[in-house]
Amino acid sequence: MTAIQPAAMMSGRYQRAFTIAVVFLVGVWHVAGAGGQLLHNRSAYGSFGFQVAMWLVMALAIIAGSVLVLRGEPGWRPAWAVAVIALAASTAAAVASPAGQMLAVNWAWGSAGWIGVLVLLRRRFTELACFLAAEAMAVLGVQAWDGLNRTALAGFLATLAWSTGAQVAVAAGVRALDVAADQAATAARSEHAARERAATAEIIRAARQARWLALQENAVPLVAELAAGTADPGDAQVRIRCAVQAARLRRLLAEGDEVPGPLVHELHASADVAERRGIAVEIETAGQLPPVPGPARRVITDAAIAILTAARSRARITLAAVAAGIAVSFVADTGAVVPLPAADEGVAIEQQQDGGMLWAEARWNSR
Amino acid sequence: MGGGAMEQPVTVAIIEDHPVVTEGVTSWIRSDPGQRVRLVQMARDLTGLHAGPPADVVILDLELSGELVTAQIPGLVAAGHRVVAFSGHSDPAIVMETLDNGAHAFVSKEEGRDHLVEAVLAAAADRPYVTRSQARAMLADQRPARPGLSEQERQALLLWFQGMSKASVGRRMSISENTVRQYISRARAKYAATGRPAPSKDALLARAIEDGVIKPGEIVPYQSFARAGTGSSSLGTPGR
Repeated sequence: MTAIQPAAMMSGRYQRAFTIAVVFLVGVWHVAGAGGQLLHNRSAYGSFGFQVAMWLVMALAIIAGSVLVLRGEPGWRPAWAVAVIALAASTAAAVASPAGQMLAVNWAWGSAGWIGVLVLLRRRFTELACFLAAEAMAVLGVQAWDGLNRTALAGFLATLAWSTGAQVAVAAGVRALDVAADQAATAARSEHAARERAATAEIIRAARQARWLALQENAVPLVAELAAGTADPGDAQVRIRCAVQAARLRRLLAEGDEVPGPLVHELHASADVAERRGIAVEIETAGQLPPVPGPARRVITDAAIAILTAARSRARITLAAVAAGIAVSFVADTGAVVPLPAADEGVAIEQQQDGGMLWAEARWNSR
Repeated sequence: MGGGAMEQPVTVAIIEDHPVVTEGVTSWIRSDPGQRVRLVQMARDLTGLHAGPPADVVILDLELSGELVTAQIPGLVAAGHRVVAFSGHSDPAIVMETLDNGAHAFVSKEEGRDHLVEAVLAAAADRPYVTRSQARAMLADQRPARPGLSEQERQALLLWFQGMSKASVGRRMSISENTVRQYISRARAKYAATGRPAPSKDALLARAIEDGVIKPGEIVPYQSFARAGTGSSSLGTPGR
């Protein structure tokens, strides 16, 4: 989770910058481009007031659309509501234009298209294509109503080509930049994760190195004694020393590469203490172990200490992920039942004595 | 499991690059009271195997000359060998890959003394043999295509992995030791029905059906997550 956030934020920052650029572009177009044309042709309209009202409606649509896209990716309803308002206002402005020179004095087509680009920018490309096509059909419809001669059609196609072409190009460009930003962010994320893994691996390596050195202090002299014949394998004491060192070595080898949780760590510590008394302890885990809260861990390690203290020569500790928590079990040659801590902190403890072997299980449930 | 009064000892070949390990395995085979296994071939790598007469079972060290050879198991199995993997790597992912590639059983080096001969005998009869390290890998399995185990099978595997004897597992679960073996074998047989197809898996499954360990209807290729933890069987076993 923490590894993902910086990258997502980075990618989000770039995308926001592209959005702001588009907002700026649409605003400038509506004020300078469409507004300029409106003022320049003010005497040509039947009702200049109506055209100004439509211009204001579209300005409000731009403000609403900008708020929507700057607050996050809008859903289809608000996005299309703004787009449809722009389409309606621009069509009304076109209808109210004087017959015969509609295309010449039309200021609204371009603005409507840009509003579509703004609000549909990060939705499916086909939605924007549909909107631009609908807008073009509306303009063509008004023109057809006025009468469609060859000159008017040529004018329509020329405007379509440059205005809609520019809009599609901007939308496609932003999309490509989004993809590039996303790729950059993914690369950064994997680099971040790799760095984190390397740091963790280094900590584990150092801890293992320390244990390995401790092992050398005890195991190496024992092997040397055996080789020199000063330690007799027939001696029960020597056999116990061998069993303990072998168990330690196995534990060292069995450790996984993942960071051991605090519970595993605490059980290892209890095992180390038992080993000094000559108890061979194995620890194994099965599955992805859930984190266990501190108080519950204390109940479990108390049980471990009680059992390891009672063990005569060997003990096996296992930690297994179970349906809703973790089952920590102990099998040891205690020879008798061991007084164990009472169930507490969500930990249930059971034991069974079979011959000289004790089995006990501390089960912690997360719910 | 396995064993019984066999007229001919089971023949075994060992592929192992460390002579000291071969030495250890040989001593375990020699100290078997029934002399049920006979070592007929020793090879230091996979190429050395094909020269001699075919053995009933091949004991394969998963690491030869520093390289993991799990990927070579399908080739061995396709050539008609029954493979018992014997390895110092008891990482669940490696164990699972070994079984998925068609090995009959997995025995870790720590388990060798107590389990290797028994695992070889079981493999020769195409019967499942589940070591604690194998139970651990099955319990840890989270792959989407894992087989659905019943609550009883899971519990038996868990107690076995924890270190109890099968008799103790039976007392704990209030079932007979035989039923414990049956639950564990059935869980293993379900694994033989999943993943990459292999003649050894077919043989294990056929034998399990013949032995009444599993019914053909209980073999589900894979489990949907909704089914997890349900489906306790009705095999007419005593106890709960």
